[in-house]
Amino acid sequence: MSAPGPAYELPAELVIDTAVARRIAVDFIRGQLRQAGFERLVLGLSGGIDSALVAYLAAEAVGPQRLLCALLPYRTSAPASRADAESVVAALGCPSRLIEISPLVDAYYGASEAGVAAEVGALGPEGREATPRRRGNLMARVRMAILYDLSAAWNALVVGTGNKTEALIGYTTIYGDNACAFNPIGDLYKTQVRQLAEAMGVPEGIIRKAPSADLWPGQTDEAEVGFEYADVDRLLFWLVDRRRSEDELLALGFDTVTIERVTGMVAAAEFKRQVPPVAKMSSRTTGVDYLYPRRRPGSARPPG
Amino acid sequence: MQPLRIALVQLAPRLGDVEANVALHRARLAEAREAGADLVVFPELGLTGYLLQDLNAEVAMRLDDPRLAALVAETAGLSAVIGFVEESADHRLFIAALLAEDGVVRHVHRKVFLANYGLFDERRFFGAGAQVRAVASRLGVGVGLGICEDFWHLSVPQLLALDGAQLLINISSSPGRDVAAVNEAGLGTASSWRTMMRAYAQLTTSFVVFVNRVGIDESISFWGGSEIIAPSGATILQAPLFDEGLYVAEIDLADLRRERIALPLLRDERPEVTLRQLERIVRERAGEAPDATAEPGAEPGFDLASPAAGPTASSAAER
Repeated sequence: MSAPGPAYELPAELVIDTAVARRIAVDFIRGQLRQAGFERLVLGLSGGIDSALVAYLAAEAVGPQRLLCALLPYRTSAPASRADAESVVAALGCPSRLIEISPLVDAYYGASEAGVAAEVGALGPEGREATPRRRGNLMARVRMAILYDLSAAWNALVVGTGNKTEALIGYTTIYGDNACAFNPIGDLYKTQVRQLAEAMGVPEGIIRKAPSADLWPGQTDEAEVGFEYADVDRLLFWLVDRRRSEDELLALGFDTVTIERVTGMVAAAEFKRQVPPVAKMSSRTTGVDYLYPRRRPGSARPPG
Repeated sequence: MQPLRIALVQLAPRLGDVEANVALHRARLAEAREAGADLVVFPELGLTGYLLQDLNAEVAMRLDDPRLAALVAETAGLSAVIGFVEESADHRLFIAALLAEDGVVRHVHRKVFLANYGLFDERRFFGAGAQVRAVASRLGVGVGLGICEDFWHLSVPQLLALDGAQLLINISSSPGRDVAAVNEAGLGTASSWRTMMRAYAQLTTSFVVFVNRVGIDESISFWGGSEIIAPSGATILQAPLFDEGLYVAEIDLADLRRERIALPLLRDERPEVTLRQLERIVRERAGEAPDATAEPGAEPGFDLASPAAGPTASSAAER
């Protein structure tokens, strides 16, 4: 793309003070590690903007030597994604691991793609019929399992890379890409992630390219979900942050179809954002009336 | 008149770890003494951390707690405001601030307005204080203490000033939020507090001291930005956002006298008018007196006439 000008559309109400956001995110990462008794971090680096930004924030918080970036491609992942991830690793100078997840995923569903030996996986012949959604969810959960294994091997916490937009509309795999010890960018909309990424010096190619879960060739978030981030972010901002009613959203220029679609997605994804409910039976129940901060005296991992 | 030297401590308490926080307070007290401070102000819940939930009872201290007593004993020759969880003799828990001077507790303020909305859940875990009063101080001026949300209510700074406070001190654990670029300092919370503290200083013609903690509890980042504001509304000290540290400035009490003579707002205050109107309003809200602003036909204590008594009910009955 040769067009000059802004790398992305940025609605005025979503403009953040990137210096303040950077400070909060970096101090937050340090605070979480200190309270948990850890010094190192591991994250899954996809080549996309979210994990690239978190890598930059994490490297600033703890130094690049204490950050392990795991590149976890499937065989259909775009080569450009891997190149972008490698450019982040090179720019930060942090250790990295490249682990192909194809053998793990194919061992379950079987390998049915053209040019690959057609073998039946652990799931049996049914595996070949698995929808892209199922396959994508398994890929996300295999990546999660690897990150948690690496975290044990590397003495690190898994830092989350999901943004507020995808958490609200549910464009995320529960216990997959949303699994983490903590998340420094989970309260930033996608358009705000772009601002902070720009301020942190994330390579421009990563900021400019169309966001993609990269679960199949040519997939893009905006084509799959059906709206542009600038629009959905604005709508979510007025709906969630500014508590506007449907009538007020209409007056702001949003159309009924989009409003209903987005509010429906937000409601349907509530379960992905919360700890599962426990059936209350005793006099004191975790998460209900036994309420403690995650970290308190005695909860940090003992040194050594 | 000697200037008054005030040290503001932007502390990052360890959540739930009283011993560690007592040590942090001791170190900062020593540092403030070294800096020649007359008054040292620590943040809300500095001895415990903020997001305590069920840790509230575990970190609570009675006023005779030896850990508290040891800290108070270190205030020989100076004044200190310290935030902690107070357990009363009958086992109620309060978010509290004490003023210690020359080794004794001069005053305890229990947070009157507990924040219980948005990200706050204080009333689940704490009782609300019921007293707002100024106290005489070795500093030579009346001191009034408030804790965070107390100063989101106009009545508190006004009552403190009317009661003789010339130095209004608010200690806070204010969570930073709204990083929109349009906000002053890039933080909505900072914009709000800065506006309020200047307004209080001018409206009460008092010095206003605001001390806010820093550091992280769970999801929350506390933003610091502690300040000293002159009775004119001018900024005497503005500590940086998010940085841990001790910040010192001097105030001149002659400025306060000058301001109160040039702008005699407190002299002209009419608390008896306020009191009479409040008595009327309280009676109206309780349904003990007719409410001038209620709809005709409204039940005592209600603003709107009940639909059951109106034409809607009868038309519904006809269907």
